Amino acid sequence: MNPQLAGLDDLQGTYVFDLRVSHRAMKLNRFLWNMIGAPARDTFKADPVKAMTEAGLSAEEQELVRKEDWIGLIRYGASFFVLEKFARVAGRTNLEVYAMMRGETFDDFMKTRRVPECR
Amino acid sequence: MAKIIGGIGTSHVPTIGVAYDKGKQDDPAWAPLFAGYKPVADWLAEKKPDALVFFYNDHATTFFFDLYPTFALGIGERFEIADEGAGKRPLPAVRGNVDLSIHIAESLVNDEFDITTFQDRAIDHGCASPLPLLWPHAPDWPGAIVPIAINVLQFPIPTAKRCYKLGQGLRRAIESYPEDLKVVVVGTGGLSHQVHGERSGFNNEDWDMEFLDLFVNNPDELTKLRHADYIRRGGAESVEQIMWLAMRGALEGKIRELHRSYYLATTTAMTVTLYEPV
Repeated sequence: MNPQLAGLDDLQGTYVFDLRVSHRAMKLNRFLWNMIGAPARDTFKADPVKAMTEAGLSAEEQELVRKEDWIGLIRYGASFFVLEKFARVAGRTNLEVYAMMRGETFDDFMKTRRVPECR
Repeated sequence: MAKIIGGIGTSHVPTIGVAYDKGKQDDPAWAPLFAGYKPVADWLAEKKPDALVFFYNDHATTFFFDLYPTFALGIGERFEIADEGAGKRPLPAVRGNVDLSIHIAESLVNDEFDITTFQDRAIDHGCASPLPLLWPHAPDWPGAIVPIAINVLQFPIPTAKRCYKLGQGLRRAIESYPEDLKVVVVGTGGLSHQVHGERSGFNNEDWDMEFLDLFVNNPDELTKLRHADYIRRGGAESVEQIMWLAMRGALEGKIRELHRSYYLATTTAMTVTLYEPV
C-alpha cells in the first residue's frame, strides 16, 4: 500500500488509478488513448469491433466500450483522462459523462450545479 | 541574471479552452471566469515577462502510461497544442526558449533533481487552456513558455513536498541564468473537483479558501499533507494542487497576493491568483 494513499478505503465513488490498475488495464487504456489520433478515430467509427479486436481488447472490455458504460469502464480500470478522449468520439461532453457516472440524468445533475447554464 | 518577478496560480479546466475558442467571453454564464483573468492579463501586459514557466500536468496526451514521467521539461522553439480527441484548436503553436529550457534542465540535474526532458511533442490543455486568457496570441504569443509536466495521474505521484523542492530548484536555475530575463512561474490545477466515479462533481469551497490562505501564509502546512488528504478534502483530481506548491517553492519566502478570482460554476472551482515576492 502506498502510504500517501492510506486511509481512503471508506471514501465512496473514488477509484485510485495506480500502477497496479494501470498495468492490469493497459490494453484498454491504450485503446482509449489512441482516440487522440484522427486515423484511430476513423478506424473505430468505420468498424468498432474490428478496431477493438485489433487493439487486443477482451470480450468484457469490448462490451464496456460498446455500451459506453462510463462507470463500468472506470471500475474496470480506465483512467478518466483517456476515457474523456473516447467521450469526444462518442459525442459526449465531460459534464454528460459525470452525470452518467453518478447514475443521474444530465438535467438532474445540472440542477445540482451552481451555474447550470455554464456548459 | 534572470529573475522571478511573480507567480500565477490557475485552473486548467479544459472547458476554459472550449469556452474561449467558442467566443463565450460575453456569455453571462462564462463572463465571470473571463473577468477573473483580466487583472492578471493586464499585469502580464504591464510587466512584460520574457518567459512563463508552467508547472502543469499532462493528461495522458503527450505521454501515455507505457512511459509516464514523474517530472518532464519541454525543450523547443515551438510547442504545438495537442489534439485531445476533438481536433486541433485554432491557436498558434506556443513559443519556447531553447536556451532557457536547456539551462533549467542542466541546473536541475546538476542540483540532483533528475528531470526527464522531451522534444517535438505537442502539449495539452494542462498548459494550453488558461494560456490565451493570460497572454494574447495574435499575431503571436508575446513570450516563451517553459513547460514542466508533473505526473498527477498515475500513482505513485510526487509528494507535495517534492513539488515544493522542485520549485526551489527552479529558482536556483532561473537565478543562475546569465541573461537578464523576467520570468513568471505558473502553477496550474484545481481547485476542488472530482471527475471520475460516483463522487464526480464533489467540491469543497471551505477547503479551497483554506488552501488559498495557507498557500500565502503557511505553505509548509500544505507540503505536509498526503495525497489522501487532498483527495478527501478537495476531490480525487484536486490532488493536482500539489503543482501550485512547485510555484510556491520558486517564490519561497513572503509573497503578496495581488489578485484572487474564484468561480465555481459546474464541477471545478475555477481559480486564478497572482502573487509577487515581497
